[in-house]
Amino acid sequence: QSKITWRMQTYAGAALAEHVVKPAIDMFNKIAGDRMQIELYYADQLVPTGELFRAMQRGTIDAVQSDDDSMASPTDVTVFGGYFPFASRYSLDVPVLFNKYGLNEIWDEEYSKVGVKHISAGAWDPCHFATKDPIRSLADLKGKRVFTFPTAGRFLSQFGVVPVTLPWEDIEVAMQTGELDGIAWSGITEDYTVGWADVTNYFLTNNISGAWAGSFFANQGRWNELPEDLQTLFRVCCDQSHYYRQWWYWGGEADLRVNGPKMELTSIPDEEWATVEDAAYKFWDEIAAESPTKARVVEIIKKYNADMQKAGRPYRYG
Amino acid sequence: MPRAIKSYVRAIDAMNRLIGRFAMYLIFVLVGVLLWSSISKTFFNPSLWTLETAQFVMVAYYILGGPYSIQMGSNVRMDLFYGSWSLKTKAWVDAFTVLFLMFYLGVLFYGAISSTAYSLGYFGLEPFQFFGDLVMTLVTEGPEAASAKLGYLERSSTAWRPFMWPIKTILCFGVFLMLLQCLAELFRDLGRLRGDDF
Amino acid sequence: MSYELIAIMMFAGMMLMLMTGQRVFGAIGFVGALAGMLLWGTGGSEIPFSAAMKLMKWYPLLTLPMFIFMGYVLSESKIADDLYRMFHVWMGPVKGGLAIGTIGLMVLISAMNGLSVAGMAIGATIALPELLRRGYDKTLVTGTIQAGSSLGILVPPSVVLVLYAMIARQPVGQLWLAGVVPGLLMATMFIIYIYLRARMQPELGPAMSPEDLAEYERISDHPLRLNYVVLALLVLVPLVVKLGVIEAKPAIGVALVGSVLAFVTRGIPAFYHDVFMREKYRLLFSGVLPLAIFAAMMVPFVNGWTSLVESSAIGAMTAFVAAILKGRMNKEVFETSVRSTLGISCMFMWIILAALGFGAIFDGLGAVKAIEDLFTTQLGLSPWMILILMQLSFIVMGTFLDDTAMLVIVAPLYVPLVGALGFDLIWYGVLYTITTQIAYMTPPFGYNLFLMRAMAPPEIGLKDIYVSIIPFAAVMVVALALVMIFPQIALWLPEYVYGK
Ligand code: NA
Ligand code: NA
Repeated sequence: QSKITWRMQTYAGAALAEHVVKPAIDMFNKIAGDRMQIELYYADQLVPTGELFRAMQRGTIDAVQSDDDSMASPTDVTVFGGYFPFASRYSLDVPVLFNKYGLNEIWDEEYSKVGVKHISAGAWDPCHFATKDPIRSLADLKGKRVFTFPTAGRFLSQFGVVPVTLPWEDIEVAMQTGELDGIAWSGITEDYTVGWADVTNYFLTNNISGAWAGSFFANQGRWNELPEDLQTLFRVCCDQSHYYRQWWYWGGEADLRVNGPKMELTSIPDEEWATVEDAAYKFWDEIAAESPTKARVVEIIKKYNADMQKAGRPYRYG
Repeated sequence: MPRAIKSYVRAIDAMNRLIGRFAMYLIFVLVGVLLWSSISKTFFNPSLWTLETAQFVMVAYYILGGPYSIQMGSNVRMDLFYGSWSLKTKAWVDAFTVLFLMFYLGVLFYGAISSTAYSLGYFGLEPFQFFGDLVMTLVTEGPEAASAKLGYLERSSTAWRPFMWPIKTILCFGVFLMLLQCLAELFRDLGRLRGDDF
Repeated sequence: MSYELIAIMMFAGMMLMLMTGQRVFGAIGFVGALAGMLLWGTGGSEIPFSAAMKLMKWYPLLTLPMFIFMGYVLSESKIADDLYRMFHVWMGPVKGGLAIGTIGLMVLISAMNGLSVAGMAIGATIALPELLRRGYDKTLVTGTIQAGSSLGILVPPSVVLVLYAMIARQPVGQLWLAGVVPGLLMATMFIIYIYLRARMQPELGPAMSPEDLAEYERISDHPLRLNYVVLALLVLVPLVVKLGVIEAKPAIGVALVGSVLAFVTRGIPAFYHDVFMREKYRLLFSGVLPLAIFAAMMVPFVNGWTSLVESSAIGAMTAFVAAILKGRMNKEVFETSVRSTLGISCMFMWIILAALGFGAIFDGLGAVKAIEDLFTTQLGLSPWMILILMQLSFIVMGTFLDDTAMLVIVAPLYVPLVGALGFDLIWYGVLYTITTQIAYMTPPFGYNLFLMRAMAPPEIGLKDIYVSIIPFAAVMVVALALVMIFPQIALWLPEYVYGK
């Protein structure tokens, strides 16, 4: 029996991938040994991120780690990938939504329709603004060209933000060439890890999402060819990656806010930020009206947040 | 050379020259878009669409201008040996190696067609069949039936979210023109070998 | 098939294809596409096209046609003529002065365009015939022009550094600034060399006699026209911004409106004053135009008002408008500039397209890993040894590859390795640029050598050009060594400007 070789491309550049995916793939390769090896490629390395979904579906790339939004997946759930505003507060909310509240099933249905295997989703970091100039009120956001996820960008444009999407690896450069005024793509851990803290000065502590989902996917045919134990091993390694990110982000966010030397923290007062939160609930309803599947997801998000609210501390404060 | 081939070469030269000369002026569109981008950014709110539009224009510029650039001889060759050959030797070698160039363009064309089919919502592996089907439906049953054949229309993953099929169609078209031009170059070289310059 | 074998086969296949003299993009694209179809497995045939989408998304490439257009407008419209005369008059009385002046001209030309070809064209058409007429030695002259024009891609703006930035994923702004000091250093070294050489062998570059310069001592027929609106703008706009009366952004608006007013009133006697002075002094003002073009492009960029690509469009536009205002933009110049820009841009873009496809397939087949492995573990070399070997291999490859081809084929292999070895990639960008320039002008084969041959008058043979280049190439090697030993020569300016 010959060795199976997969090519996998992640949305992340090398510096970030060192944390969000490489340990899991190294682990997979070590255990699978001569039976199977996965070669990991970084953002835009083999195909541009915009073509990633297509490449996986066609079989040019065997597996992908990305959010649904960045890889422009042609499904109804794309809009919820990346940062769907205010859908979650903590990184633990995400696995609960997927595993206990039924998002897994919806994702599975949607991706089966387009010939792709959705393996599992895990939480990413919160979504904060990192900017050149300080943001202390909503008015400061006006006219800022900000690198963000397409859906988050659509939502933020009502506050005068001008969302820009560029290849991930070019962001640091774009901050310096003036193509961008800021970044709303991650928490402070990533800002430091990937070098964005070096090209921005301020970090806004208010976020538009406490955490959202990144998933592992595979070409359906290639997935089906795997023996069951290797499928299980792959799932276990994905879970390892999800777990790593849980503690790495959670601890990193607090640590760098307190001890990070490169960025100054600013905040928008809670009362003012509440208008953004209210706008998000309106945005949810707009999205829900677009299709039955989207309505189902929004329904689940609403139910979940209502439950958390009722559960009280420590799930939700106030 | 047969008259049909000569008229093919002349027709392709004329068409690609015309298209190339149209593409040539896109440089001013590009300047215009980028200037508007800086003006709107300085004096009003930055525009959402300028950067991507500029990228689309740039693609049209070099893809549609490609065949004309071949006519002008702008594409560099490594002339370590080539430079010292006689015209006849050059024609011999070119007539052979242009087939390799056409192979590359063919692969590029297949990829372009496949990607354009995807941008129109076709997820299968037979893009040519999809387009054949689409055209047949359009002819026999009209535009409404044809548009029913389309699936999820691919959009760029940006907040502006433009559809991708227009630029991908331009890419298909440009690569196809490039193939036609290379075929014309092949005929020209074959003619030269028979002592028939045109 | 092993990674090593794939790497060797793809590379050898490409070299073989290039030797046939087929268009470079076809040679590279073919090998990539064939390897993709045979070795990739499912879907390998789609990679050459996905490279087109990659190319589209890489926004700094938008500057490429802009800078090429700018270069053509400058050289075709001959708005640099006065500039050349200025150096000519002021440097002429010195031994070797005309050659020194030519280097000065090249520095200014370099600041206005992104390729070395424009400098070469201007040097060959304006400076070369004049210097030969004045009895300068032909080997000194052609060497000066070739060496001087190589500054075009080192002094910002630089198209080659834009392409390098794309491959190395490094900030273009920093790379450009990193090229400034080494560029000026190299220019200074050229000047010192010419000066010393002309002192030792005065027959190589005779000084101009007072009789030769007499015509420049006369009061000029052409006045220096001082437009009151322009003068007022130059004084008042910076002043009110400095005093805080208005903000910088509205000030740009005022300046723009004022410029239109200045243009409209340029023929009305009440709005200007003509100053008649000696031709020699009038020419001093010819540097204002290039400076204005450079400032119109760089000031908004450095201040963060416009982005890199927007600035490149402003540069192209300014050069175009300047040529119109100077009355040099006739139908022929327009046609040549626009058409040549398309030709050269297409040449670049198609090579990049093919090379991106080749690179992705090369990478996806594991060949990049094989090369990294070869250098780092199998040969067991120290980082500096590897770096020097790479530079040497560039010079060898420069004998048969042109600059773009070299950049898009070789740089993607070397740059990640240089990064992995712990070297600074901004610094390496400068090393890379100087090295390739040396490669193009070292005999027996070099891109610049043949370009010079094509542009020079018939009495200058290829042998003269070979001889002429040796001392200048030696000066460049010394400059290269200096930048290697003292990285701060390159890194000081970007760190100073971008340092927080
Ligand atoms: Na330059
Ligand atoms: Na050489």
